[in-house]
This record gives sequence, structure tokens and C-alpha cells, in this order.
Amino acid sequence: MPQTAMNAIVDFPVKPEARPYLDAFDRGVGHNAQVEPAWLAANRRRGIARFAELGFPSRKSESWRYLDLQPLQRQPLLPAAAPSGAMLRTMGDRLAHLTLPKTSVRLVLIDGCFARELSSIAVPEGVWFGPTCSAIVERPDLLHEVMDDISDAATHPFAALNAAFFGDGYVLAIAPGVTLDQPIEIVHLGSGAGAGSFHTRSLVTLGAGSRASILESYAGPETGSGHYWRNDVVAVRLAEDAELTRTIIVEESAQAVHLAQLDATLGTEARFTGFALLLGGHTIRHEADVRLTGENARCRIDGAFIVTGGDEVNIVTAIDHAAPGGQTRELVKGVAAGRGHGAFQGRIIVREDAQKTDAHQLSRNLIIGQRAAIDTKPELEIYADDVKCTHGASVGDLDEAALFYLCARGIPLEEARRMLIDGFLREAVDTVDDLDTRAHLLRHLARRLASLEE
Amino acid sequence: MMLEITNLHARLADGREILKGIDLTVAAGEVHAIMGPNGSGKSTLAAVLAGRDGYEVTAGGVRYQGRDLLSMPADERAREGVFLAFQYPVEIPGVNNTYFLRAAVNAQRRHKGEPEVDAGQFLRIVRAKLKLLDIGDDLLQRAVNVGFSGGEKKRNEIFQMAMLEPRLAILDETDSGLDIDALRTVARGVNELRSPDRAIVMITHYQRLLDYVEPDHVHVLQDGRIVQSGDKSLAVELEARGYGPFDKLAGDAA
Repeated sequence: MPQTAMNAIVDFPVKPEARPYLDAFDRGVGHNAQVEPAWLAANRRRGIARFAELGFPSRKSESWRYLDLQPLQRQPLLPAAAPSGAMLRTMGDRLAHLTLPKTSVRLVLIDGCFARELSSIAVPEGVWFGPTCSAIVERPDLLHEVMDDISDAATHPFAALNAAFFGDGYVLAIAPGVTLDQPIEIVHLGSGAGAGSFHTRSLVTLGAGSRASILESYAGPETGSGHYWRNDVVAVRLAEDAELTRTIIVEESAQAVHLAQLDATLGTEARFTGFALLLGGHTIRHEADVRLTGENARCRIDGAFIVTGGDEVNIVTAIDHAAPGGQTRELVKGVAAGRGHGAFQGRIIVREDAQKTDAHQLSRNLIIGQRAAIDTKPELEIYADDVKCTHGASVGDLDEAALFYLCARGIPLEEARRMLIDGFLREAVDTVDDLDTRAHLLRHLARRLASLEE
Repeated sequence: MMLEITNLHARLADGREILKGIDLTVAAGEVHAIMGPNGSGKSTLAAVLAGRDGYEVTAGGVRYQGRDLLSMPADERAREGVFLAFQYPVEIPGVNNTYFLRAAVNAQRRHKGEPEVDAGQFLRIVRAKLKLLDIGDDLLQRAVNVGFSGGEKKRNEIFQMAMLEPRLAILDETDSGLDIDALRTVARGVNELRSPDRAIVMITHYQRLLDYVEPDHVHVLQDGRIVQSGDKSLAVELEARGYGPFDKLAGDAA
């Protein structure tokens, strides 16, 4: 028997890699049981207990097989301390690069903590918007449900750890029938000061017939260096006929681990449009679990990634059609260069009741160079008999004929390669309807391609 | 001399010899037509001159403005003023036609040590060229050649040629598959480009294009060699009698 396997919080053997986190929790890191409401403290305890039991996922588990978490497992990154005021004042320039020129509603989180002086969160009547910490005090009703939701299911170790340690996040709650014309921006910035983990937990809940769009950026410091682990959990709840667009850009620092999970539920005729542009970070996992629980709900979930160096990107989506008439469109385009490794795992589940489901999924990938790799695994799981579902996957090289055509017009080889890669990924970016947002994404993509090493 | 091809031999990766000793000299200001039946090596000649991979030059050489053309990579040849109008222009999804062309023009300008043109300046140049060639601007906002009809693709090649103002233009069967209107557009583009400091080599199967663009010299390519050269009357003769009579010449040369 391992010694001291028990603990004040858990009465079962603790996974060794979870031990440092459990100890930190016992020391009061990342939470304050004295001032927090009892329901939250209880929720945190449930979270850490679950994580202690689950530990890190094994690569034998299908969902985690493509990501190497060994370095993180060997070197724990405990919840980071809140950033200092002096540090916040240096972040203004970085923000300008990460945000749209015209947005007026913006919430900034630095190292997982709400940065009030960099945010502007005034919203119209019928909308509640602010940091999760404020919502805990002002709108616990909103949070109760989703938090219980996640920690009870609790098969996801990092969602459980997140429940234990989350320092902040954002909550956007819109009353029925309210439309937000302007996109809301969320910026998650890593300051690069010290090694640690940022656990953020957020909620978007839209009342019947309401509409909103969110642009969410996850980025490291200007220098591009910073050893941190971001562990982000976002819950989305869309009531009947609600419509949410959520676009995210991930440009983490070169050493960063970015694990993000989206958990979305779509009511009757609700529409969710998600887009993820993953451009940087050492280890990235972008997970989206979407359940279509109401009839005729529509889900559009697209993405594009570039993975280079010795980095890894893993997109894992599970779209669960539980009601009739639902529609899913999914296009994910990936580029792996250098020794980069990209993986796409996309499941579409069509339950017995989900007749007339119309789902289409496509994973297209480009490998640049001999040492890069892509895994793609589209999966359809269909239990209904009257459905229209297709999926496809491809992995290929740059088109030599196209490359020659560009070179034959005088475009230098390296530039020609970048143009083709840009063109390849652009097809996915073009699914973003809002022109300002699309232009913003393309700027970031172009900047990333300019520094592409092969 | 603009272009001097001497005893050029080239073969494919599989070892098949396609060009079996081509000699051709083209001076600035001249328009040459190279005619020949399918499989005579016309497109291989164009590909070797433009620097496409997949061909091995086994003997002979090519000098362009006194320099060794074959030692330059394809992109450098283009920046030095060699232009190939493709027989089959390539579709490039996701790459905007205007953006592509501006990148090409700016690559050439950088090469010459000239300042790059911005989007606004570029558009003004584009408009002027379009007007000159009587081409609509409908192709500009689409992805390069994607969904273009055969005629649109060829018009796009000529438009690119007009924008890049090459010193040596090689047209590889630019006239094939064109209706009469598209053929006229192409011919107008080529004629606009004729100038004392520029040379044009038109590779074609048919004499049709030569009705609109009058060549100074006509060459017959047969089985990897130029078997006869003459003035434009040679093209008329070919049209009337076909390539048959030249088979004998090719046989004699072998």
C-alpha cells in the first residue's frame, strides 16, 4: 500500500499525479472556503475529490490518445497567484493586437483573473455580463445548475480540477427576446510571470429568441514565452430559438498547455455557430461537446489550425443529436509542419429519436515536410433510420502544380507555399459570417504564416 | 540575344527522351510560332524553358539574355522576365486572383529594386490593363482560375502576361479550346505586347491564332526536333497539307 494514500477530503487512493493539486487545495490555494458560499465550497470539494480519483487521463483512453500530457504530469503547474496591478498596466498594447478595433464591450482576464481596469462591461437592459466571481454573488441562480451539471457527470478529469480551482471566468446571461448587436469580446491573457495554471469557468446562457456573438482570444505575452497551463471550461445553454456565435483564437505562448472544453446544450430551433482558429501553444486541446436536445436545432462548428515545431494540437468534437430535425455542419482544416502533430477526432451521434437529422462533417489536412503528422478520425454513430449523415477526411501535401504555377509568376517558393497554406485554411475561415471578425482572424492567420518554419 | 536554344535534349523522369536536339534563336522584337502535332515535344519545350520539375536536360543549353536560363529556379526566371502562358492554367482554391497577381507584380518589383505597389495603386494599374485588353473585371475577385470556363482561364493568362510585362513570353497552346471571341481577346493581348524589346514564342497545334497574330518566323517541331523553319507562309502550308509531309523530314533528320 502506498503510504499516506488517504486525505482529509478523499477516502480513496489518490492518483500520484493528482497529489500536488490535492495538497495545494488543502492549503487553500485558488479558493477561500471562509468567504465563499457553502454551495460553491462543496462544489470545489467535489471537484478536487473527483480529480484525485481520476488523475490524468491515460493515452489508452480513446479521447486522449493523441495528446502527450507527460511533461505536465511530471511537472505540476499549480494555480497561479493573481497578477499584480503593475503588471496589468503593461498589458494595454498586447490587448490592442488581440481585439477588434470597434468593440465596446470587453472582458479581460489576466492569468485567469478578472482585470477590471482593462475591461468595459456595460451592457444593455436584459443582459447580465461580468466576471464569474461577481455572478457567484449576484446571480448564483445562474451558476448552480451548470456547476452541478458538470461535477456530477465528472468523467472529465480537468473539468473536475477546474471546478475545484477556478479563479474566475465570465458569465453572459441574456433575457428572452434580447439581441446584442455588437460582439462581446473576451480576452484571456497569460502574463508570462512565473509558472502556474489558470483555471477559468464561464457560462453563456441565452433566453428564448435572444441573440449574441462572442469573440474569445486566448493568448500569451508579447514575448511569446511563458510556461503556463490554461484549463478553461465554458458552458453554453441556448433556449428555444436562441442564436449564439462564438469565435475563438488561440495564440498561446510557445511553452503553454491549453486545454479547453466547451459544453453546449441547444434547445428547440436554437442555433450555435462555433469557430476556432488555433495558431499557437505547445500542447492544445480544443474540445467541444454539443447536445441538440430540442427539435430542429442547428449546429455549425468549424475550425482551422496550424501546428509546427514539436507542438501538438488536438480537436475533439462530439455533436450529440438527441432530438428530431437537427442539423450539423462541421469543417475542420489543419496544417502540420516541422515536427508538429495535429489530430482531429470528430464524433456525431444520432440518437434513436433524432429522425431527419442532417449532419455533414469534413476534416481536411495538409502536411508540410517529412516529419509532421496528422491523425484524423471522423466518426458517425447513428441509431435513427431516417437521417442524412456524411463525413469525410483527407490528408495531403501541397499541390505541386499550384506551387509551380505561382513560382512561374515570379512568386518566391516560400511565399508561394505560404499563399497555398493560407488559401487552404481560408476556406474554413470564410465560414465566419461577420466581416470584421473574419478580417481579424485572417490578420492573425497571415501573421502566423509569416513566421512559419518548415 | 533574347533566347538561344542549342542542341537541347530533355527527357522525362521515366527516361523517355522527348526533346532530341532543339536549336532555336529568338531575337528581341520577334514573334515565333512553333507548330507541331501532338506528342512532338511542344509542351515539354515550354515546360523546360519555364523551369517545371520532372524533366531532365541531358544535353545542350539555353541562354536567355546571355545568361544560363536552366540554372535559374522557376521563380527567378519569371522575375527575370520569362512568362509562360499555361496550356492548362491551375485552379488554386482560397487564393484570390487579385491578391495573387499583386504578389507576383511585387515580387518582380522587389527583384528590380523598385518599390512595391499598394492595393490602391495596384487596382489602378489593373483597371488600365483591363481596359486595354477589353477584359471585364469579373475574374478579379474570384479564387485563381477556380470555376473559370476554359476561355476565362486563357483570358486570365493573357491578363497576367499584360500585368507582368515579360521580356520573353511563351504561349503554350493558348489558343486551344477557345471560341472566336476569346481567341480575339487573346490575340489582342498578344499584339498589345508586341514591342521591339520583347520576344514572343507561340506554341500551337493550329494555324488559327496566326491569322490574328502574325509571326515573323514559323518552326515545325516533329519528334523532338525542329525539322523546318520559314516565314508565315509555312504555317499556311501546314494548314493546307497537315503535318504528314514533315514526317519524312523528321525521319531524315534521325
